[in-house]
Amino acid sequence: MNFIDKFLVKLVLLPTSFYQSLGINTLQLKAILQTKIILGDRTPTGIRAIKRANQKKPTSGVSFSQLLMSVFLGLIFMTSFFIGQNYETKLTLYFSMFMFILASTLMADFTTVLIDVRDNFIILPKPVSDITFLTSRLLYIIIYIFKTAIPMTLIGMVFIGYFVGIWPLIVFILMVLLVTLFTVFLINAAYIFVLKVTTPQKFKTIITYFQIALAVLIYASYQIIPRLISKSQMAGFDINQSSFIFLAPPYWFACAWQYLTTFSGGFTMVFYTVLSISVPFVSIWFVVKYLAPSFNQKLAMITNSSDEQPVKSTNKKSAKKGWALIEKVSNWVTQNGAERVGFMLTWKMTSRSRDFKMKVYPSLGYLAVYLVLMLLNNKGEKAGFELPPADSFVYIFVVYFSNFVLITALGYLIYSEKYKAAWLYYIPPVDKPGKFILGSVKSILFKFYAPLVIAILVGAYFLLGAAALPNFILGVCNQALIILTIAYITINQMPFSVLAGNKTKGSSVVKGLFTMLIPVSVGFVHYLIRSFMPVVVLLTVLSCIAIWMIMDSIKNKNWEQIKVQEDW
Amino acid sequence: MEPIISLKNVFKNYGTKQVLKGINLDIYAGQVIGYIGPNGAGKSTTVKILCGLIADFDGEVLVGGLDIKKDALTIKSKIGYVPELAELYDVLTPIEFLNLMAQLYEMDEQLAAERMNKMLTAFGLEAVMNQRMDTFSKGMRQKVLIISGLLHNPDIIILDEPLSGLDANSVITVKELISKLAKDGKTIFYCSHMMDVVEKVSDRIVLINNGTVIADGSFEELKQQQGNQSLEQIFAVLTQGSSTNDASDQLMNAFSN
Repeated sequence: MNFIDKFLVKLVLLPTSFYQSLGINTLQLKAILQTKIILGDRTPTGIRAIKRANQKKPTSGVSFSQLLMSVFLGLIFMTSFFIGQNYETKLTLYFSMFMFILASTLMADFTTVLIDVRDNFIILPKPVSDITFLTSRLLYIIIYIFKTAIPMTLIGMVFIGYFVGIWPLIVFILMVLLVTLFTVFLINAAYIFVLKVTTPQKFKTIITYFQIALAVLIYASYQIIPRLISKSQMAGFDINQSSFIFLAPPYWFACAWQYLTTFSGGFTMVFYTVLSISVPFVSIWFVVKYLAPSFNQKLAMITNSSDEQPVKSTNKKSAKKGWALIEKVSNWVTQNGAERVGFMLTWKMTSRSRDFKMKVYPSLGYLAVYLVLMLLNNKGEKAGFELPPADSFVYIFVVYFSNFVLITALGYLIYSEKYKAAWLYYIPPVDKPGKFILGSVKSILFKFYAPLVIAILVGAYFLLGAAALPNFILGVCNQALIILTIAYITINQMPFSVLAGNKTKGSSVVKGLFTMLIPVSVGFVHYLIRSFMPVVVLLTVLSCIAIWMIMDSIKNKNWEQIKVQEDW
Repeated sequence: MEPIISLKNVFKNYGTKQVLKGINLDIYAGQVIGYIGPNGAGKSTTVKILCGLIADFDGEVLVGGLDIKKDALTIKSKIGYVPELAELYDVLTPIEFLNLMAQLYEMDEQLAAERMNKMLTAFGLEAVMNQRMDTFSKGMRQKVLIISGLLHNPDIIILDEPLSGLDANSVITVKELISKLAKDGKTIFYCSHMMDVVEKVSDRIVLINNGTVIADGSFEELKQQQGNQSLEQIFAVLTQGSSTNDASDQLMNAFSN
């Protein structure tokens, strides 16, 4: 525990005699709380869970880096202070961002905070009373929220305190607390809603997607918000002019701050002030009174879900159809035996493994954000949308940048939490492990690249005409060639056979830079020759031949070239 | 009679650590070998060598008269392996997983499908065979693994703690299955820590410690050599040099202060 945690634990445990009067065993309470905090400190959650994928060390000090992350996010909120002509506008935006990010992080993190199966085995069999256990949970959640919400608004507080005044600062802190309360209510409501529409089993999957969406969103806001600020008309924006704004809770809080700092503004401002103070408390009361009981029951269901009989999937028919198509593709592009097994196994693992999705799917999102931004940048000064000319550098860049996702996916191909299951490669009579690897790499290409290729080629045909196609085709072929070459050089272990924690940071950064350099330099050469059509055609043919040859080399990798994890 | 498995002077090092120090063993078709030893004795290394996973060992291993260093593929196709600890890619369904295995053994699709169905049904898994295994209990996973080891009808079956996590009825099923397979002429190599089971299912017990075979014979023979004791007691005396009583006494002593 770091000093902040120690301080917070001391703080929440201060009313010892009060706890004791409630029948709580304070010694046990302290023990449980401290353990929970240590556990939390060593378990990556939320955004950190995705970051963890990139820097695999034994995790510790999570809470401290979580603090830093929260402060950083708080910095993004500060952009709202540059928008709008009055504090209603600025603070409405500020509170909106704060609510949204707080809700997202808490929503994602609460699963690990609230749902801890180990409690059933470790704490419940011990002589710990219900109220002690419940209080420990409650205090932990309070500490958790406190550690997330306060750093997020820290920079805002400093800003208000310095530029506006001390009384406004106090009001601001009060508003932050009210917004936090209200957000906790929203999360509860969201949890109950999610549990209503889905089974507890699917719950964790939904949370995974939620975390991925969150990572992409933060990336997008980091990219987009600075661009918006530069637009001069933003400064003159007044949120009071917007109709229906009274429906948005952040607006109430903003108005309440405005009223409480100036005590002016008439009846509507008083109304919003009353609203923003009463609604959080009413909603929390509502949660405690009506939602919490069923909520706890549902939570227990999530905890136990692993012991239950699996639930049958409802859309079986469509799923089957999808697999039939993929099987057809695999029959078409792979040879029977190990290669096809590699293809199908990889396809299924990449769709279903939570681990892989957490690592690779965010980069799909980053790519989408990036592509949108590139096109936005080309808008120019005029209002109308104009495409850059067909020989512009942008297109080459788009094509060659697109394998960023592929490189990421390929980089994580060999990792899995279930790495010990890799015995299945070594037991059957397969002469060349390269067959598995080729199947896997083909699977990655068809899954993550083929759709993009189709989109690029169709888009190019309709937007730029058939004359632009040869260059795009060459680009696409080169991409496949680069990916296969990288696969040939870097994949010396079986797919999903290495413990996900073993990726060393230093080498992967160098590797990453190096592997990004290849497409960039090939793309540059391509840009130089783009107008010489015979050269483009010739290179396309050569590229295809090279693809065929490199696939053959991957397939011929033998067992001596494969590293086997020692503790297998 | 030619042994079906023959290990001659098998040595294996991991770096400077010598794990196997000259294992000599002849195993005949139809035998059920109980392969036992304390943690770190070299059991799983032996298994890995037999499965053709480790090729860089010293000595000679013949399976069905073939050298495992030269004919690993032919040998692999004759061996069925059931790993310990229910390790599998659990996002797959049993059918998907078994299909992968069948393809790797190049089995006929129709035949594999039929066998899978029958075996899954025999283990009571027919209702869940199209559901992902991530929600399965340890025992259910173990059943799928046992099926995956038997699916291609191998001559030699290597079982590494096959009963872990199984419920009582399935334990009986698997134990009966082992003796029926042996009667059918299959050779079973059974690694386990559960002495009472080893004592019952195997007709020959091989005990290794520190990389060497320290006892080899039927349970009756071992009893004659070591005095009329249970396998557990024989195991303790041979591997620890003393009875387990001492350790438990020391544990009890911790209370007296």
